[in-house]
Amino acid sequence: MSASDPIAQPAADARPGRAWRPFALTAPAIILLIAVIGYPLLTIVLRSLSEPEWGLQNYAWFFGAPVNLTVLQRTFTISAWVTLVCVIAAYPYAYLMTAVGPRVRLVLVLCVLIPFWVSGVVRTLSWVILLQDSGVINSLLRSAGFSGVKLIRTQTGVVIGMAQVLLPFMILPLYSVMQGIDLRLMRAAQSLGARPSRAFFTVYLPLSLPGVYAGAIIVFILSLGFYITPALLGGPRSTMLSTLVQTQVLSLLQWGRGGAMGVVLLVTTFVLLALAAPVMRSRHREAGRR
Amino acid sequence: MLKTKALYLSAVLALGVLATAAMAQEKPVAGEVKEGSLKGKTLTLVSYGGIYQDGQAAALKEFVEKSGVTLLNDGPTEIAKLQAQVESGNVTWDVVDTDDLPPYVYCGKLFQKLDMTKLDVSKIPEGQVGECSVPAMNYGVVLMYNTEKYKDNPPKSWADFFDTEKFPGVRGIDGSGSPTGGLLEQAFKVAGGDPKAMTVADIDKAIDVVRKLGPDTIFWKTGAESQQLAESGEADMLMMWTGRAMTAVKNGAKYTPAWQDWLVVMDQMTIPVGVKDTDASYALLNAYLGKGAQEILAQQTSYTPINNDAQPKVDASVAAFLTNTPERQKQGYKQNFKFWVPNFAVAQEKWAALMAGN
Repeated sequence: MSASDPIAQPAADARPGRAWRPFALTAPAIILLIAVIGYPLLTIVLRSLSEPEWGLQNYAWFFGAPVNLTVLQRTFTISAWVTLVCVIAAYPYAYLMTAVGPRVRLVLVLCVLIPFWVSGVVRTLSWVILLQDSGVINSLLRSAGFSGVKLIRTQTGVVIGMAQVLLPFMILPLYSVMQGIDLRLMRAAQSLGARPSRAFFTVYLPLSLPGVYAGAIIVFILSLGFYITPALLGGPRSTMLSTLVQTQVLSLLQWGRGGAMGVVLLVTTFVLLALAAPVMRSRHREAGRR
Repeated sequence: MLKTKALYLSAVLALGVLATAAMAQEKPVAGEVKEGSLKGKTLTLVSYGGIYQDGQAAALKEFVEKSGVTLLNDGPTEIAKLQAQVESGNVTWDVVDTDDLPPYVYCGKLFQKLDMTKLDVSKIPEGQVGECSVPAMNYGVVLMYNTEKYKDNPPKSWADFFDTEKFPGVRGIDGSGSPTGGLLEQAFKVAGGDPKAMTVADIDKAIDVVRKLGPDTIFWKTGAESQQLAESGEADMLMMWTGRAMTAVKNGAKYTPAWQDWLVVMDQMTIPVGVKDTDASYALLNAYLGKGAQEILAQQTSYTPINNDAQPKVDASVAAFLTNTPERQKQGYKQNFKFWVPNFAVAQEKWAALMAGN
């Protein structure tokens, strides 16, 4: 290291052993990840290629059965809807959390966290009571003179239920980003003649986008693997891939096929994220420039 | 030399005879177990939880007290979990309760071929003992209909269940996993086929009949859901397990069964391949088959006992759903076992496609 740059890495220079520290500190997490995610994932990939014999037969089967492709596509469509609903519902809420005083904020945080602590199964069953044909929403509609709407066992019902279960995963990252946005920037923009809407779209929204992306990715990925909610709130036309995996593995003992389905879902997700990444990054940079 | 060999042989023969005599002496009697014979041992019974497994535990209470065994309960039965145990050579499930078909489909692979000299199967209803299983209890899948909806013109059979023109209304079907062979056979009859001569291609025809019920059809995922559908009146006609049907009616659901061709279901008791103490598992099975145990099970669950001597004392609401009366026995419909066992996987796959909206 040259003397002209004395402050850059003094510690690393003085004691080279310290470079290992960050790795040593993350070791428990890395070991845990390898043990509970890496190894099982590897097993799944291997089983998808080796059962009942070595080869690609499980993948050939997956792409040869129309039902699998329909359900795969449906899984992504439902997840996209859930993500969209979450963004629309969470954005104003997270903004409100940054705008109010500490006491109201505490109430708002609790409103997010308490359902978060309640099991997803319990929340889904509550949605059954609300959404079913003889349920709360339909009784209210009927007593108000409207005809009932079909909510349970439809895709709409599944999206509503999933969005509610996943909402905290959108609100919390959004809030953490919005919290860091200096609200005086909005005032500055307005003082320079921007209408409030203009100030929002050119200043606030771009600055908050990293939170939207973070939340959207978490919600989207969690949605893809949902099992309980579509099973309880959906009908045959809202079955998602996890249900098919369950049938293959638990009822038919076709671990290879189940594995292949999981791998296809994983790879498709990676591809989609890879396609979305440049968009997110460029927006991010743009936001930074502005 | 020759002499010693002959001596040796006769000794072996004598031993053999003695052993046979001993075994003949200890011919098992259903429901009985030797005092303290399983002291210090542990057995794990795997079943489906809820009132059913509670009833099984109650039925086995005497066995536990007498034999000194520690009985653990686990569940629910999942064939994939059992397979994982058998493959890894670490089987912790000693006695497993399953649906009708698995012991026949996986006989010798996941479930042991049973040695009937270790069990007293003399009181089991005829034709119910399999190569790898004895029955756990009998019950039925029954067509329940909303009495307020159909009033004077109720559905009488599965043909009416599949006839949405004559009998409009929402249908509820068991979508908890595997297809019900008996229901598909009834559907195939509606399509003009003969279930006794069913072929693999006919499975599609049968499933098409189910599919034609339309998009409003509810495929319930759990017994509890079927019960809830009856109690809230969401479905007008429901395919239900008798235990759940009984509970729904008890809870005030305005539904009543159409018994014609109710589908006979026989849960099975099995011993997995590779259990640590096979004889202990046999002892549990043998105790379970006893008259007293079966009476307790029936009284607690409304499920039909599988010991011919059992005479459970049940109240009227439970008795209404017992399936072992002479009248019910005449109305029952047994699925074509010989067809479904080899075609289990194909049927499952086609059914799964229907379940996924295809």
